[in-house]
Amino acid sequence: MSNLTGSRQPRPPYGTGPPSRAAVPTRRAPYGRPPVPVGAASRHTQVSRYRRRRLQWLVPWMFVAPALILFLYFKILPLAQGVQMSFYDVRPYLGDRYVGGGNYVEATTQPLFTQAIWQTIILAVGTTAGSILLGFLLAILVEGQARHLWLVRTAAFLPVVTTMAVVAEVWQVMYYPDRSGALNTLLGWIGVGPEPFLQSPHQALASVVAVGIWRGAPYDMMIFLAGLATVDRNLYESAAVDGASRWSRFLHVTLPSLRPVITILFLLAALRGLRSFTEVFLLTNGGPGQSTQVIMVLIYKLGLEQGKLGVAAAGSMILFVATAAVTLAVHVWRRRAVVR
Amino acid sequence: MAFTAARHRVTAAVAAAICVGSALAACSSGSGNGGTPAADASGALKVWARAANDSPKAFQAIYDAFTQKTGIKIEPFFTLTDFETKLTAAAAAHDLPDLVVDDAAQLGNFKTQGIIRAVDKGKLAGADQLAPGSWASASDLSGKTYAIPFSAQANLLFIRKDWLTRLGLSEPKTWDDVTAVAKAFTTQDPDGNGKADTYGLDVPGSTTRGYISWYWSTFFWQAGGEYFKDAGNGKFTATVNSPPGKQSLKWFEGMYCGSPKVVQPSSLNDTTTETNKAFQTGVTGMYFTGPYAYATMDGSAVKGKYEVIAPPPGPGGAKTLAEGTNIYLMQGQRPNAAQKLAEFMITQEAQNLGMTKVPSATIVRLPVNTSVDAASAHKSDDRWTLAQQVYKDQGHYEPVNMPNWTALRQASSDALNAVIAKCGDSDAALDQLNDKLNTLLKQQGVAAG
Repeated sequence: MSNLTGSRQPRPPYGTGPPSRAAVPTRRAPYGRPPVPVGAASRHTQVSRYRRRRLQWLVPWMFVAPALILFLYFKILPLAQGVQMSFYDVRPYLGDRYVGGGNYVEATTQPLFTQAIWQTIILAVGTTAGSILLGFLLAILVEGQARHLWLVRTAAFLPVVTTMAVVAEVWQVMYYPDRSGALNTLLGWIGVGPEPFLQSPHQALASVVAVGIWRGAPYDMMIFLAGLATVDRNLYESAAVDGASRWSRFLHVTLPSLRPVITILFLLAALRGLRSFTEVFLLTNGGPGQSTQVIMVLIYKLGLEQGKLGVAAAGSMILFVATAAVTLAVHVWRRRAVVR
Repeated sequence: MAFTAARHRVTAAVAAAICVGSALAACSSGSGNGGTPAADASGALKVWARAANDSPKAFQAIYDAFTQKTGIKIEPFFTLTDFETKLTAAAAAHDLPDLVVDDAAQLGNFKTQGIIRAVDKGKLAGADQLAPGSWASASDLSGKTYAIPFSAQANLLFIRKDWLTRLGLSEPKTWDDVTAVAKAFTTQDPDGNGKADTYGLDVPGSTTRGYISWYWSTFFWQAGGEYFKDAGNGKFTATVNSPPGKQSLKWFEGMYCGSPKVVQPSSLNDTTTETNKAFQTGVTGMYFTGPYAYATMDGSAVKGKYEVIAPPPGPGGAKTLAEGTNIYLMQGQRPNAAQKLAEFMITQEAQNLGMTKVPSATIVRLPVNTSVDAASAHKSDDRWTLAQQVYKDQGHYEPVNMPNWTALRQASSDALNAVIAKCGDSDAALDQLNDKLNTLLKQQGVAAG
């Protein structure tokens, strides 16, 4: 307290106050008065207070400036450039041509675009739901203090820290579509298969979702573990005293306590799902027969394979609006939930 | 030959001297798109080549020889499957290399983007030494030259000799033979390991870079099909759904969807990186690919176990996919040095380096320079004689002169991959594709009617 009240007192100009006192303020002597005539001191402090007030707003900005500058250069400016590009037929060496909303029309009227949107949504929903469910299950299984659990948790977390390129390569081998493939060997033991997995237009998207879940679940698990640790133990005890069954305790104590965690996980996973690129690009590149074409891969192909950078920029803007909408929707929903 | 080389060196030296002396744009080949700088900017010449494995070493050998001769330093860059996407990204960032070595099939794509310069053959030292036919895939429909040929090739059939012997089969001579051998390789356990883990035909069936239609083209032409019909006045109509086209796709789809399925099961997502591996590791027994694969295959366990034969003719005759590799002069600040490198790359010396300097990488497959001969350069390897012969007798180029062939090829690939993935109606798919190709031709301004 003394520190707080002390800091509101007029401070002596630097170097004028007794250093020992300034360094160790006490309750009895909050901040020493400067040993100068009273009139002169008050005028001096007024000026410095004025100066400080005038510059005070700058201080927080100075602290965030490095981050802001980087953000501006690497995020805001490219974004602005992307918006601009989306209205042009971009031809870096022939001169750009203004086409108005033409790119948006071309992007959205491609028959592939609608298909890609649906497939992106399926991929996002599937991966999100799967990762959250599996992550939660894992979290409950490995929650605790024992040392071996720590080891299990670390092992389970490995998919998250592994580079997607490696993950894709490994899964491609596991998904190999004949009897010699790893997964098909397992399936063969129970008399199923061989399944084509990534080679079939009917199974490819599901196979990509499975890789997404495998990779995303441990991340969700970690956040759930952190969430579970914050649940008040007293609530469990009182519930138990009141005769609540294990399942009711889970339903009425654990789940409500984890609501903020679930919300944030849902948001993060949904955004990750909408922007999926690497796994699809490396596993199937949108194939076979466009069955795994998602928005990001389509944008990549439009821009860098077909050289239609403007159309690709328009597609990116649409995706940007979609992700912003999802974020806002979740925020609104969360606010309402809190009010309730 | 020595005399030619000496004369050429003199010509090159004189040309270089004039270039340096006059410091005019005369030596560069301005395309009319944007100005051509009079003098080169300083710094190393940025050169990109589509190459992987040991090929970069072979390119480096040529670059080193060039640097030694001219003092011009080179900053090389190599990549394979995503080459064109990287180049498009570089163009978007206005950071193009000065010279690019890539497939002739990209000519229209690059020209449409405005990132390459037109080439004035009259001002290119050594242009007269190149085989006249090699220029065909370096020009657009109007005959204007936009690239310099560097190497040529035609696909051959690589086939497992040991598998044929084990199963008592002979080399395929017709489509029916190809089908029969493919079935036998799939069902009769040609590697004798007791498992059904081998396949007859190796196909890069991915849509990436248009691989599947690129590969199918050989069968399409063998059936007697053509992608486009010339309607005169530089206008074209798509003819991919002609009866021969339909026949060839039905046959090709049967390889994937018939019983047994004779194509390697991962095909529809495979690019040539994966198909090379499939052949090298004994997953597949027949593979249509270019003579550059001699080195790739000989560097693996399959060495000595396979043979190379001329592709068996189809119902419409003996045809095979022929391709060129081009040198593209890019829009940039070092046009004179770039052209000098291009001039060096087509000399006898550089072509020989590209053929034989690095045994595991033949970046010059069949040379474009008439004073060089692949068969005599690879004296100990008579497969090169075959490569030359097949190229001459059966070679059929893709229509790379179209305003943007890669866009047309991509559409074909998407259609083929989609119908085969579903094992759907191949005739209907070709009818749809034909309409799509006509739409694209219209967009490219060369549609008839």
